[in-house]
Amino acid sequence: MTRVVRLTVNGTSHDVEVPTYRTLLDCLRYDLGLTGSKEGCGVGVCGSCTVLLDGKMISSCIALAVFADGREVTTVEGLAEDERLHPVQQAFMDAGGFQCGICTPGQVVSAKALLDANANPSDEEIREWMLGNLCRCTGYYKIVESIRAAAQRSRA
Amino acid sequence: MNAFDYRAPRVVDEALAVLREYGEDARVVAGGTALVTMMRQHLVRPGCLVSLRDVQGLSRIEATNGALRLGAMVTHREAEVSPLVRERLPVLAETFRRVATVRIRHMATIGGALAHADPNQDPPVTLLALDARVEVRGAGGRRELPLGEFFRDYYETALEPGELVTGITVPLLAAATGATFLKFLPRTADDYATVAVAATVTLEPDGERCREARIALGSVGVTPLRGRAAEALLPGERLGERVLQAAGEAVKGEVDPLSDHRGSAAYKREMTAVIVKRALTQAWEAARRSARGTR
Amino acid sequence: MAHRVIGKPIGRLDGIEKVSGAARYSGDVTLPGLVWGKALRSPLPHARILRIDVSRAMAVPGVLAVLTAKDLPSILVGRRMFDMPLLARDRVRFIGERIAVVAALDPDIAEEALALIDVEYEDLPAVFDPVEAIKDGAPILHENPGAYEGAPAERPHPNVQSVLRFTLGDVEAGFREADRIFEHTFSTQLAHQGYLEPHAGVVAIDEEGRVQVWASNKMPFRLKELLSHALQVPPAKIRVNLTPIGGDFGGKGSLMDLPLAYHLARVTGRPVKMVMRYTEELMAGNPRHPSVITLRTGVSKGGRIVARRVKALFNSGAYAAFKPAPSVNLGGASMGAGVYRIPHLSIESFCVYTNNIPCGHARSPGEPQMVFAGESHMDMIARELSLDPAEFRRRNLLRDGDLLANGHHLEHVRASDTLEAALKASHWSEPKPGPWIGRGAAMTHRHIGVGFTNARVRLETDGKVTVLMALPDTGTGAHLVLRQVVAEVLGLPIGLVEIEVATTDDFATDSGVGGSRVTHTGGRAAYHAAEKLKEQIQAEAAKLGTPASSLAAIARAAAKEGRTLEASHFYDAKAHGAVTSFTAQVAEVSVDPQTGQVTVRHFTTAHDVGTIINPIGHQGQIEGGLIQGLGFALMEELRTEDGRISTLNLGDVKLPTIQDIPPLTTVLLEDPVGPGPFNAKAIGEGSISAVAPAIANAVADACGVRILDLPITAEKVYFALRAKAEPQAPPATERS
Repeated sequence: MTRVVRLTVNGTSHDVEVPTYRTLLDCLRYDLGLTGSKEGCGVGVCGSCTVLLDGKMISSCIALAVFADGREVTTVEGLAEDERLHPVQQAFMDAGGFQCGICTPGQVVSAKALLDANANPSDEEIREWMLGNLCRCTGYYKIVESIRAAAQRSRA
Repeated sequence: MNAFDYRAPRVVDEALAVLREYGEDARVVAGGTALVTMMRQHLVRPGCLVSLRDVQGLSRIEATNGALRLGAMVTHREAEVSPLVRERLPVLAETFRRVATVRIRHMATIGGALAHADPNQDPPVTLLALDARVEVRGAGGRRELPLGEFFRDYYETALEPGELVTGITVPLLAAATGATFLKFLPRTADDYATVAVAATVTLEPDGERCREARIALGSVGVTPLRGRAAEALLPGERLGERVLQAAGEAVKGEVDPLSDHRGSAAYKREMTAVIVKRALTQAWEAARRSARGTR
Repeated sequence: MAHRVIGKPIGRLDGIEKVSGAARYSGDVTLPGLVWGKALRSPLPHARILRIDVSRAMAVPGVLAVLTAKDLPSILVGRRMFDMPLLARDRVRFIGERIAVVAALDPDIAEEALALIDVEYEDLPAVFDPVEAIKDGAPILHENPGAYEGAPAERPHPNVQSVLRFTLGDVEAGFREADRIFEHTFSTQLAHQGYLEPHAGVVAIDEEGRVQVWASNKMPFRLKELLSHALQVPPAKIRVNLTPIGGDFGGKGSLMDLPLAYHLARVTGRPVKMVMRYTEELMAGNPRHPSVITLRTGVSKGGRIVARRVKALFNSGAYAAFKPAPSVNLGGASMGAGVYRIPHLSIESFCVYTNNIPCGHARSPGEPQMVFAGESHMDMIARELSLDPAEFRRRNLLRDGDLLANGHHLEHVRASDTLEAALKASHWSEPKPGPWIGRGAAMTHRHIGVGFTNARVRLETDGKVTVLMALPDTGTGAHLVLRQVVAEVLGLPIGLVEIEVATTDDFATDSGVGGSRVTHTGGRAAYHAAEKLKEQIQAEAAKLGTPASSLAAIARAAAKEGRTLEASHFYDAKAHGAVTSFTAQVAEVSVDPQTGQVTVRHFTTAHDVGTIINPIGHQGQIEGGLIQGLGFALMEELRTEDGRISTLNLGDVKLPTIQDIPPLTTVLLEDPVGPGPFNAKAIGEGSISAVAPAIANAVADACGVRILDLPITAEKVYFALRAKAEPQAPPATERS
């Protein structure tokens, strides 16, 4: 059984015909070719699949594509403006907030959503917001530093 | 996942009609965080998913006579940040805040959590301590029942086939009441509780002795529980080690935890007493502050 | 010596692709006509396969092929010991073993088809405990393991995969000399490497009949060799296309599902992608070996260690196939001697077959297990001798010239300096800020990895330099380090040096990533290639009469004559150097006596390091390894009972989250004596192994309770405290 879903992804509208069982993540990756969002744990825990649905971060691996019908999706590919990286992306590069990079799309999407909601987060607020973004490489210290730096830069 | 039909009704009656049409082969989906995960693990294979995501009128948070009413499709995050909930029932907002991660809370709904009936969930514990009432709608009409009667067993509720949770009504706290929710999760910061306790303590006009206490427990039985034997020990008492000790011992006898990777049954039983004592202490002290404040 | 680029905190310039989502990992690779493969896995730990019927699965619309063992050659695979079939033929030996594969148009259809494959089994007696597995009468997993290619000769019992021994002196004589003898036994849990990218691969057979592979595998040349063997295809017909890898930590060096993807590609005529679900990783993904380790140590009155005997049993699971060392054992067993001078030493490490998930290499293979045991043991002895644990260590630390159990004589030993640095930075001697707070120390050391690497550096006509290497990017930042090395040699800013990732067609060989070797072997290969290129540039400049710095002009002049300035170097570090790196760590913890919960208030990590090439990357390796050690110490576990793993989603495995990390102090003692470029050493596996014992020792200091098995959970501490307080009370009957 298939459905046609209309998704606006990073500002562009797409009509995609998908089986009902298609997750939003698989739809983005395989139907739309946006492989930036990753499948890690597959159960909504690790955050590698984080996208914004109408501005709110969700686990796209446990969301059905049909849930996003008529809605707006922001993925990691939509963070940069033209050739310029989002301050969060730049901060992760400067501070070593990533290593293997597999969790990084989820991290930067989540961090961008944090700074959109709270331009001056405390360390405690950063840790609460980012609880669901697991990283196995960095030990998280440089992720916190990166987000702090991005917040400072955005306020400057 | 298997191939399934997907229906997205716009009003409750339409949802009920689709449920009647498909019978047992249909599952209701709200946020999907529990259901879609189970479907991906091949634990559940519905022939039809009935989504409530487009149904009008299920997402309101409103104050009614001495209570708050939350529609079934209110998300955990909406309840957590709602100014109304934070002002009128801060213990409830704080409880929603402890659930999983922000991502999950953006999707998971109250109605979905109640219908899922996993005794490890946090919000039902506080809702049970607050004597919440669940609204249900089915072909036969509306009914309301106390939350304590709504949960029957592990993943099992009083919902009849073809019925939906449509909302929950939560009475506000009486004057001179303190309320606390404590979630004990000793492994990592993202988990279900090993033991969860919600406690309310209402004081007599003297601002010291307990008039009434309510204790609800999560993760220590097949449903969230009220620790009624422990509650019964408290009226008339002042806060002190002896009464806390007695309440802790009483509650140990009321729980029947399962051993799992969050703790053995023996450990959970011991921790129930420890966390109940801490929750009662905090709630009592909050009640005393509140009583002093109003005098 | 002042460097221009070496030692500078250069951010991850190569990160644009990672932060923007453009980086293509193996699971992101797509080809026209691609189909998906999925494996059916055994639900039983030990059984005969009586019958497999795939007819219902074949009939599912969208299914292109279903293969079982009878459709494949009966080849056995492995990394060193070849004891594992591609698909179980007539017998399954662990829950999760592959018995069939399906190719379908999407992964959901493939999984639905798996459920329609009918298999009939006959249970066989199974064994799960390595102690039981080596007793007489235990169920035997492999009738004749000695006959497998690569099998070590020594086999005291058919369920022993391998035995590894380290010996110094005469341990019995040593015990006779000792004034006191102490023996303790420890155990550690089954734990997954926890990389967030599950194994993924794409195999396509191109028009020329070549096998094109994209895989999450960090040793592409070894992969090519192993594939050639498994597929019975000449190596020249296989090309491994390198992709970035989403975390390795030792776990991504095997064939995993790739031969099956190949056979599905062969049968369907389509490219095939196979990606493990995380549940499959947790059932069949070659995790870290659980262990039971007994140490027996004899000490003199003066607190000197005179003798030690170590017996380690590693529960290796159903196949030895995932262990790459020639010994088919875990090199970390040599850490039974710790950082100490022990004149009489006997270490015996057994890898044992059981009907459990086959285990492999994980960051510092065998070491976190062995060092937990050894460093806990040291503290327990110190307590018996009424010695400060730091003082007991001081009396026994390795010094210059000392001989290690693996045969190396050490030079430039900074064990003592590293210990003192950690103690000082952690305020070891100061009073604790309150009750139920404790401090614990632990040490380890780690050699610099060896291997062989090819590098080629080329001057481009725009004046930039390209470094061509076939080392995959596993995330460590190694590619940036290699660029820095070349930039330093050539006197260029980092922006003018790029790295190009090669395929296995571009070089003859490379030992790949692992064992903390890349800065050393890759760095030296790049260094020497750059030196050769520098000579060429200088020669060209002299001929042309231009300054050697006019790189674009020099390159263009050569290009006019049809020449490219390019130099290659093959670096092979054959023997371990005599230089090692010490780590000393101190944990400060508080214990909640009512619940047993352990909170790490502060953690100090001190490292004796070589020249640091990139401080940000270097620190990132320390922090990452340390938090993995924290998870191993306090949180992580694949819980298994009778061969069945019950923690089958990543949420249940309990990897550390951002809220679980303690405040951290790092102390670096930089000594430019390493064998790497510019005297660098290694850091990748230095910070993980001593974390668990530092915490265990701190817990003992905080509340007097000694936990002998990992992870240190609140429950274990709680019941241990109860047992201490009520020695007459009956022990709790139910344990988690």
